[in-house]
Amino acid sequence: MRIDFRINGIDQSIELSNDEMLVNVIRERLELRGTKIGCGNGECGACTVLVDGDAVCSCLIPAHRVAGRSITTIEGIAKENELSPVQAAFVRHGAVQCGFCTSGMIMSASALLAVNLKPTEADISHALAGNICRCTGYRQIIDAVLDASGQTPLGHEPS
Amino acid sequence: MTGLREVGKRRPQAGIETRIRGGAIYTQDVTLPGMLYGAILRSPHSHARIASIDVTAAAALPGVQAIITAEDFKNRRYYHLGGTYSDRRPLAKDKVRFWGEEVAAVAATSLSIAERACALIAVEYDVLAPALTPQDALRPDAPEIHGKDNAVAGRNLAVRFSADYGDIAGAMAKAHFVLEDEFAHGIVAPCCMETNGTVARFNPDAGTLELWTATQAPYFIRKEVAHLVALDEHKVRVRSVEIGGGFGGKSKVCEQEALAAMLSIKARHPVKITLNRRDEFVSGKTDHAKRIRIRTAVAEDGRILNRNVSVQIDNGAYTAYAPTYVGASRQRTTCLYRIESAHYDCDLVYTNKVPGGQYRGMGAPQTIWAIESHMDDIAKRLNRDPLEYRISQANQPGDVTPLKWRISTCGLTDCLQNVGKMIRWDEKRNSPAPLRGVGVASMIHPSGGVIYQEGNFSNSRVELTGDGQIIVHTQTADTGTWQNTTLAQVAAETLGVNTSDVSVSHMDTDQAPDDLGSAASRVTFVTGNATLHAAEHLRAKILTGLSQQWNCGVEDILIENAVARHGTEPHRTADLTEIARLVGPLSADGFFTTPGERPDPKTGEGNYAATYVFGAQAAEVEVDRDTGRITVLRMAVAQDVGRALNPTAVEGQIYGGVLQGIGMALLEEMVFEEGRPVNASFLDYAVPRIGSAPKIDISLVETNDPLGPYGAKAGAEPTINATIAAIANAVFHATGIRFKTLPMSPDRVLAALEERDGKKPALKPWKRVYNAEVAAVRVMYPGVVFPALRKVGTKFARLPEKSKTPRILVPGSIAELLEFPSNKDTKSRIVAGGTDIFVGMKQGIYAPDQLLDVTRLPDLQGISLERESAPVLRIGAATSLDSVSRNELAARYFPALVSCINLIATAQIRRVATVAGDLCQEKRCWFFRSAFPCYKLGGSTCPCFAVLGDNRHHSINGAKRCAAPNPSDLAPLLSALNARVKVIGKTGIRYIPIEELYLWSGLTKLEKHELIEAIEIPIVPDTSSAFRKFGLRQGDFAEASVAVLAEWSDHRVRSIRIFAGAVSPLPMRAIAAEALLTGTRLEPSLVSAAAETIVEGSLPLHDNEYKVPLLINLTRQALLAASSHSA
Repeated sequence: MRIDFRINGIDQSIELSNDEMLVNVIRERLELRGTKIGCGNGECGACTVLVDGDAVCSCLIPAHRVAGRSITTIEGIAKENELSPVQAAFVRHGAVQCGFCTSGMIMSASALLAVNLKPTEADISHALAGNICRCTGYRQIIDAVLDASGQTPLGHEPS
Repeated sequence: MTGLREVGKRRPQAGIETRIRGGAIYTQDVTLPGMLYGAILRSPHSHARIASIDVTAAAALPGVQAIITAEDFKNRRYYHLGGTYSDRRPLAKDKVRFWGEEVAAVAATSLSIAERACALIAVEYDVLAPALTPQDALRPDAPEIHGKDNAVAGRNLAVRFSADYGDIAGAMAKAHFVLEDEFAHGIVAPCCMETNGTVARFNPDAGTLELWTATQAPYFIRKEVAHLVALDEHKVRVRSVEIGGGFGGKSKVCEQEALAAMLSIKARHPVKITLNRRDEFVSGKTDHAKRIRIRTAVAEDGRILNRNVSVQIDNGAYTAYAPTYVGASRQRTTCLYRIESAHYDCDLVYTNKVPGGQYRGMGAPQTIWAIESHMDDIAKRLNRDPLEYRISQANQPGDVTPLKWRISTCGLTDCLQNVGKMIRWDEKRNSPAPLRGVGVASMIHPSGGVIYQEGNFSNSRVELTGDGQIIVHTQTADTGTWQNTTLAQVAAETLGVNTSDVSVSHMDTDQAPDDLGSAASRVTFVTGNATLHAAEHLRAKILTGLSQQWNCGVEDILIENAVARHGTEPHRTADLTEIARLVGPLSADGFFTTPGERPDPKTGEGNYAATYVFGAQAAEVEVDRDTGRITVLRMAVAQDVGRALNPTAVEGQIYGGVLQGIGMALLEEMVFEEGRPVNASFLDYAVPRIGSAPKIDISLVETNDPLGPYGAKAGAEPTINATIAAIANAVFHATGIRFKTLPMSPDRVLAALEERDGKKPALKPWKRVYNAEVAAVRVMYPGVVFPALRKVGTKFARLPEKSKTPRILVPGSIAELLEFPSNKDTKSRIVAGGTDIFVGMKQGIYAPDQLLDVTRLPDLQGISLERESAPVLRIGAATSLDSVSRNELAARYFPALVSCINLIATAQIRRVATVAGDLCQEKRCWFFRSAFPCYKLGGSTCPCFAVLGDNRHHSINGAKRCAAPNPSDLAPLLSALNARVKVIGKTGIRYIPIEELYLWSGLTKLEKHELIEAIEIPIVPDTSSAFRKFGLRQGDFAEASVAVLAEWSDHRVRSIRIFAGAVSPLPMRAIAAEALLTGTRLEPSLVSAAAETIVEGSLPLHDNEYKVPLLINLTRQALLAASSHSA
């Protein structure tokens, strides 16, 4: 089956093998390896990408479903050399440790901010519950997302 | 130390620009020309003899390039800690000792071919009785897991240790009282987000091997792999790669490294092995379970005269680094607080379970939990405030502990005082809000301890390249700890350049000198010192070179802000490029070894570390009386870090360590059945998600250690040490309940609260006739029914065939779908979202030949108001959950539906999963989902594993031959709402009320060739509805849920429908409660009485009795919510 779709603003046409999942197309066919595989079962969120703006786990999407749709991966979230507001806030707040969950986190946070300009901490928690981070304890991530939406981070500076 | 320009400053993470853009290359991203994919065949038994292995069929499969078995490794074993501890081979020989042990491995041109080849390897096993717990393994007649060569201390005993410290008799004679207690916990796991993996490339011409591998310790990988594949160490090179978390899970050689290497040698191609998430849990990266007995003799004035601790550690089937767990637990028990004398003994016991690896803290968090729970009880007995008492007993500079640790810098008193202030101790301790409490705990941790046989040394190299770059070369691996950032800061400070001028190249064993790796929080202190020395040497070389060029003394030259200046001739300056041009490329090595003493092998005595880290944490918790959920509201953390080289990095470690500690305290535990993990996934093993993150206040106490690089001590690992204890003490303050097992999960907490309050709801099991039969069968299950079905019945099990690849067909219309050819040999399944089916295929519970994807069918999409007869809300079957929750009509007519959906799974899943998919999903029983040969998976000759196994998630009601509850949240809600499904089949259309949709959990009345087109919910005026659900973690499946629909007339309930989910195989209607409430105003007292009746007829299993009060409480909440909607 051949499918046409757009990824990070570029049109692609790919001949699929029957059982191929979207994450495989992204990582192995298109060699966009910023999207990570942490569980392969939709439980950890490391493979999160945007399909028509919605954050989904690319490990659970049969690739044929993205025909005619537009995908954004971590490689397409920055504008040229300029980091996206979410990326820049992650850097400012030290919200990255090992970095393995980071791509998925940034995709989920970006999808949230696209529909919710001023999310509360509860909104952030709801939107990011599908993204596991084992390193950061999430505090710096929460602060980064608040900051990226122009809100004052709660601040956890040492006293 | 003043005037520091780079150290102590908040610098961004080294390499962040690449990571944040997705450009960082982790092992799973490494691809090489001609690369093959490796798969591992694992043991399906916990203990068995291998009678034969036949690889003929596998070798014949096209695409298979190499197969290896134990023979390929001759008689070589992993070194691990060496000597009698060296007990494990890369592939099992003669015997398998745990479920999941590596038996063979295959390299093929694709992963699916390699996996199919594994399935074709025929292994004959003679099954042996296993010893699954330390208690079982220590019985005189226990099965012998290893021979006397490894079990040197007795049958199944890898270590038996016992020692006394100080004048115990004298101390006991002075005792005012003696307190005794026992604590126990199960196995937790590091759960790095990146699973372990390796790419190995053997160059047959040069005889060299390269490894790209997710490791914390390239030094040990090279050593172990070179030994196992019989190459000289200098022929093996570990390459630099990004590491997705470590936490100890990657601190020893992991099994895939030697296997990928041997496959590459045999196949003469590069080979990649990536473990999957389940492999991570089953194959040896876990922590260890412990039982800790503690007895303390206390003087009248509170002094600790003697602490006597007896520990039993579950080693699992092989010894990795568990003997260091013995040391770690000995250290905490003999050295935390001022202790006059001590006794410590420990058994390290082999069992037929996953071999324990290492995890952050090396058992210290749980050991300290036991000590600090006990300290709270001592304070209580002394009638003293727990914080004040701890301060009075805190270690002080100059102390010598019973283990002969000489404490130099020590900020414990400051740490305790600071957390007290931050958490507002006095106010919250003395006048706590109901069900809230605060607790405190301390910790101690060696910094620069003599961890390894090699000691604890580091070599570091700092280089000035010909084009003026500064590069630090270290073999340690930055697993995400920001070690490369802090090492760059140390080098920059020493050289007089900016941190941004320095890059760090980590891991590469050909480029960096030897270092023992990134474990035990050793990098800052040990590698930091080596890097400091290397940078000093480089600086000296630069100054010498410049002084010759500039014809001046070295003392005349100043390097600052990456510019060298001649002190008296200001026009002479050189930036880094110019310096490199003038003095040429230079490099310098630095070496550091800890001044710590090797502990006495008999007693463990000796000043083990260069210095010691101290810290304290205070927790404020809230306990939900209805559900047992403990919420950590706030943590205060104070840590003596010597000096924070980069405060942002240290804080990051504290946030992360505390959250992992919260996981250990409240959520995490591996569950086994027959030695086989049943919760080896992030669905069933609950690591903390974002909603568990509390507010955390941090105080970094800087004691400026004279031996540390710029005063720093170890920082990262010990951040976890005091967390469980602080939470447990806060829970005790809030509830008066002292938990002696971990985790303090809601099921255990709720059961304990019920017991405390003497509550015992009337279950009246006789109200359901079948309970007599169920009860009788349960009585006979352990002795008769289960053994018979397990031994004989499962021989006839018909398990789904694994590793098939189904065809995916995408029909354009329902008519086309119904016309798809199917015969009895073709198993078709309808797939909508796929969030259950694609996972279930990997779990081995579905094996369809073809999948019919219905997401493109327009009739199955959308939400609309239909007014043909009575008004209904029509939801297309394949409408995503997220679309429903965002729909205005749904929100207007059925707010309970929206709130229900928002409690299902996670945002990513809700965007894909569909309404009909939620209704039709398969059962969630973890035995079934782990593909145990159970009644529902294997057929009627097989047993139900939940009757005797861990059944905390199972049914309390109606559990006959299968105890799996209905997992759908929509099922009870839509049943209450009187909804129905519209079903289309070859013979026409029919409607089924959702209340009647199910035959059993995960089994609907739909016939073959039928599909749900839509769900129709009647819109009835003057109604109110509510939904309540409780899951153990954020986004989890329900442990219990309750849905209510009340129809009102003149402020009274005209009719009411109440359904419960997740407590019985079918959505359970609460008829008695409905009868009690009809005609009432849902007054609170009536509601409470009615809620109690919902559990009548229940017959809980041994681990799920907590669901009884949970269900009552959720019912009451839902009814009250529905009553408040009545206006």
